[in-house]
Amino acid sequence: MAMKGKNCVAIAADRRFGVQLMTLSTDFQKIFEINPRTYIGLPGLATDVQTLSELFRFKTNLYKLREERDISPKTFSHMVSSTLYEKRFGNYFCEPVIAGIEKDGSPYICSMDLLGCINHAKDFVVSGTASSQMYGTAEGLWEPELEPEELFETIAQAMMSAVDRDASSGWGVIVHVITQDGVMTKTLKARMD
Amino acid sequence: MLDLSFLPSGRGGAVTDLPDDQDDAQTFAMDAAAFSHPSFVLPSVADPVAWMKHQMSDAAENRIKMAKGTTTLAFKFKDGIIVAVDSRATGGTYIASQSVKKIIEINPYLLGTMAGGAADCSYWERELGRRCRVYELRNKERISVAAASKLLSNMVYAYKGMGLSMGTMVVGWDKTGPALFYVDSDGQRLKGDLFSVGSGSTFAYGVLDSGYHCNLSIEEAIDLGRRSIYHATFRDAASGGSVLIYHVRQDGWQVISRTDVTELHYQYAEEPRPSLL
Amino acid sequence: MEALFGITGKGFVLTASDTTMARSIVIMKHGEDKSRVLNKNTLMMYTGEAGDTVQFAEYVQRNVQLYGIRNGVPLSAHATASYTRRELAKALRTRNPYHVNLLIAGTDPKTETPELYWLDHMASMVKMPFAAQGYASYFCMSTMDRYWKPDMTLEEAKALMQKCIDELKIRFIASLPQFTIKIVDKDGIRDVQL
Repeated sequence: MAMKGKNCVAIAADRRFGVQLMTLSTDFQKIFEINPRTYIGLPGLATDVQTLSELFRFKTNLYKLREERDISPKTFSHMVSSTLYEKRFGNYFCEPVIAGIEKDGSPYICSMDLLGCINHAKDFVVSGTASSQMYGTAEGLWEPELEPEELFETIAQAMMSAVDRDASSGWGVIVHVITQDGVMTKTLKARMD
Repeated sequence: MLDLSFLPSGRGGAVTDLPDDQDDAQTFAMDAAAFSHPSFVLPSVADPVAWMKHQMSDAAENRIKMAKGTTTLAFKFKDGIIVAVDSRATGGTYIASQSVKKIIEINPYLLGTMAGGAADCSYWERELGRRCRVYELRNKERISVAAASKLLSNMVYAYKGMGLSMGTMVVGWDKTGPALFYVDSDGQRLKGDLFSVGSGSTFAYGVLDSGYHCNLSIEEAIDLGRRSIYHATFRDAASGGSVLIYHVRQDGWQVISRTDVTELHYQYAEEPRPSLL
Repeated sequence: MEALFGITGKGFVLTASDTTMARSIVIMKHGEDKSRVLNKNTLMMYTGEAGDTVQFAEYVQRNVQLYGIRNGVPLSAHATASYTRRELAKALRTRNPYHVNLLIAGTDPKTETPELYWLDHMASMVKMPFAAQGYASYFCMSTMDRYWKPDMTLEEAKALMQKCIDELKIRFIASLPQFTIKIVDKDGIRDVQL
């Protein structure tokens, strides 16, 4: 789940890794730093989460070497989109969420389907097994022009309420709030059932 | 031939093995009206069992899905029986409720646990409660746990193959002392000292078996039951909510506690692990 | 029906693998060691489809050893696991993916940090303090949740391993009469008795 605020964005994910009903790990990383102003969340099949995170690390490192600058969130989202569409006939099972701050300071969020169709939103984007729950909670809590602290509280509450209604999500929540000055990361004390 | 006309159609009901002598109050038998199932409307097809089977299979166009996913357990020890259950209800991965009461109070001496289809369990265990009361009125004494569990087993067996889904434990104290039976919708009925039922049962067993012995004190037994359910809720996505615990004694059952597992998780995380040596 | 276990302790990983090789309903062999030594301080245990398991394990083993010879530095457990995951992931989207589930146990000989990685045939990789592979995980993850603590001594880890194996003997329908127990620490990989 990612949300826009006033000159800031937030991205949050749960921390569960499990096989069907069995939870195996509660510190699984699903959100990856691309650069200090761009983060990507990769919910979906665990193997593709890991493969894609490695692939994007590789691609953005190469981009940085070529261009001698960090990739912008918008450019990165198109890189992700193309990467997913490359596998149109044998796709990755992952629906990414991207959040970042553009060079001009404007917040950027988007989500994607598993073939790379980009979806932009002015407020928030959600993805994953608890997406229908997240639509509900985020729709109810989000307001325009939230300050970083308020945005953190909003996304944290929206996320916690959503995963508490989904059996296959939860076991901890991690939130990153990205501003021009830096990133604030917090892991939340959550239900562990 | 026995008269089975009270059943709407299909297979024989629970009364097939009972004598039809209605006057002798001491026998196990009751008249057909008292014993008959409330009439369920069966699908008007040639073979209702096969038809229902299809409707619940993956192949069916509008598949009937049922609420499943639970951890329940019960075990005997020197001071009675501990019954412990979680409280989550799921439909697929959607959490429908975190506060389901999965222990059914059949009467002051009998408890039933719920696993599998929630509606099936609550209906049939309520029906069992009614029949146990009828038995009491007729025979002027309480029904034994063995007989009660057999009643339940016979009732659900009559509907075998039609998609009933329940895994239940019937627990109580009778003339013979504490008694514990496992009854499921396949018609299986087992007497035992320790059972766990539901999707989280393997996880509960993993804790229960390593800490169980007959001479547990009441406090130890309650703690073991609670911990076993907690560990199951941690590993099993379909179990969660809170742990509800009952203690069955000679003078009937007693509610011990109801604790949110989140509270337990952070409490247990602080505690040292038990010694392995 | 196969079972693998790994438990990390202070400066070591204790591993167990069952020794039954079955085909259909027949047990073909008792006493098979379902593991390969990747390098001095890294052990890979495997379960899965007959043929795939040994082929894949030995393929990884040879490549990890080649890396050590070429570079004069052995691969760390994490690097080994990452490499293995990559190979599994590559094979996953081919016509014949490897159907192999793995545990990779290693102890860094300098820092003496134990590491244990869980990988499945879908090429998901997770680092865990204790792990079980196969149906055993349904029975024993909760047992290990209950008793595992950081920096366990070897004796404690052995006792926990025994508890897990005992639990399988009580509750699991398949009989797994014998396990190969190994310890992976800074000095290498050795067989031990529980």
